[in-house]
Amino acid sequence: MLRAGSSPGGQRSAPVLAWLLPTVVTAAVAVVAASVAPGDARAGVVWFGAVGTAAVAVVAAEAARRGRALAALRRRHAQRESELHHRLARCDAGMIRLARVEVPEAVGRLQRGEFIEDVLKGYRPQDTTDPQFEATRQSVLRSVLEAVDNEEGMRESTQRAFVNIARRVQAIIHRQAQDLREMEHRHGNDPAVFEDLLKLDHGNALVGRLADSISVLGGARPGRQWSRAVGLYSVLRGGMSRILDYQRVELHPVSQVAVVGPAVEPLIHAVAELLDNATRYSPPQTSVHLTAVEVQTGIAIEIEDGGLSLSEEGRARAERMLAEAAAGIDLNDLGETPRLGLAVVGRLSRAYGFQVSLRPSAYGGVRAVLIVPQELITTAPATGRPSGIGIANARRPAGGPRPWGARAVPPSSTGPLRGATLGTVAAPGPADDEAPVVTEWTPNGLPQRRRHAAPSRAAAPRPVSTPAPTQEPVQPGMWLAAFTEGVNGHAPSSGAAGPTNEESAAEGEQ
Amino acid sequence: MSEADPGPSEEDDPERLYVITRGRSGPNGETMLDLVTLIVSRSDPTPALQPEHADILRICGSPLSVAEVSAYLRLPVSVVTVLLADLLTQELIEARACVPQAILPDRALLEAVIHGLQKL
Repeated sequence: MLRAGSSPGGQRSAPVLAWLLPTVVTAAVAVVAASVAPGDARAGVVWFGAVGTAAVAVVAAEAARRGRALAALRRRHAQRESELHHRLARCDAGMIRLARVEVPEAVGRLQRGEFIEDVLKGYRPQDTTDPQFEATRQSVLRSVLEAVDNEEGMRESTQRAFVNIARRVQAIIHRQAQDLREMEHRHGNDPAVFEDLLKLDHGNALVGRLADSISVLGGARPGRQWSRAVGLYSVLRGGMSRILDYQRVELHPVSQVAVVGPAVEPLIHAVAELLDNATRYSPPQTSVHLTAVEVQTGIAIEIEDGGLSLSEEGRARAERMLAEAAAGIDLNDLGETPRLGLAVVGRLSRAYGFQVSLRPSAYGGVRAVLIVPQELITTAPATGRPSGIGIANARRPAGGPRPWGARAVPPSSTGPLRGATLGTVAAPGPADDEAPVVTEWTPNGLPQRRRHAAPSRAAAPRPVSTPAPTQEPVQPGMWLAAFTEGVNGHAPSSGAAGPTNEESAAEGEQ
Repeated sequence: MSEADPGPSEEDDPERLYVITRGRSGPNGETMLDLVTLIVSRSDPTPALQPEHADILRICGSPLSVAEVSAYLRLPVSVVTVLLADLLTQELIEARACVPQAILPDRALLEAVIHGLQKL
């Protein structure tokens, strides 16, 4: 047992020497003593010498044996200790890896939608020397993942519930908005009722925006979907419709483009939130400037207010919020931030590729620029849609979303108007030719608008598209149309108006 | 875009009427505008005008009654009245009381004149 730890020979010679040396010395001293002692005492000396030598030998041997045992024990101890150190270091490393790498990674994977079991499979023990530790590690990982999974599930269901409620509110708001629009038309003659209806309509739109915000923060799309492209001007005015202080917003003429259907609602909402911020954080007597220009990457919508300038710190905070929102929001944080709008804008930006930046404005306040990417923009003029100022265009000469549509017809010639404009809508390019009623062209290629009752010179050789008048519901001013038809295509165009109209059309086209 | 069929369901637009009138529900103060007042534009629309204003200027090249303007623009009369009042203060349009029926020339006569002119 004592020799179990194999000790090299060199080490063993020292203890042997240690117990031999005192014995030999004692024996030598005894022999010398015996030789010098007088004869009668010699027997006693020899006796004592022998006994003493023996005793010394025994003690020395025992001491040496214990020394050896001690050394072996020390060796074993050192070995054990280093083993434990190793193990400890392994455990430490394991713990650190677990905390710093594996748990975050596993949670990340879980949040990306993987299942717990799949995630755990990726973290099987690397070394099996310490099964207990590995098992513990696994169970820690598992319980963390389960907790996270539960939370995620709860959060998701909460969000779904929010979105669900928001959807219902949106549906009600939408229906109410339609009803209100009808009522506004019905009671348009009664200013008192009409005023009240407008107030209700406005309040309704504000509630609608809140519902949209909830739905966006819940991770869903803002609201209704538009199946058709809507002119940018209408989109901007749509944004204005949804804020409290819309009267302070000055909408400048914007470029003649339309926004594709799927992006309409998000853009309206984002603009509304930015406008809301701008009006809310600037003095009530100042106005907020809203404009849009074409840039290389798309359309830049600029919102400038004359409020307090954003400090560098404030700007950084706002931009950070936008960025955080774009990266995904922690709903807990929202409670502390009064500027809920930025979170919404950030979310929308991420989903639809808008770029938003906040800069100090020349007016002293904040200038928010929202860039709509090119792919969400269609060029409206090609389709006879919004742009250019004014027209009486297809369906709703002015009320509406295509405030411009430079090439449309004077609405007075209502019969042809619809059919013709439809033609332009359906077939952008050649339609221009097919719609002589809509537009006549001057020799130098400029579109020419006609006055109310003046059938065009260009229209003369090309008869008015016949089906249109028949499918057209009776319009006001039919007497005038009938009058026109009586002289179909041959009436003199109102000469005085011609040139100026051309000029304005040219201006509009620019 | 291509499915732009002007069905009645297509009624809604993103913008609400109060934005078009900037929150006004009727003209400030007394105006002489009623449903049959005739409106004539005095100038051509410019790009700086609000689209509805430009539309009114365009369609009122020859006299139209307020009711007709309202119907063409598909806007309630109150909204149109506000818009017209704006244009009146900017002196871009003229408003005239309706012409009594008796003063209107005979339609057949007018047609004859037009035919005569066309033959020139």
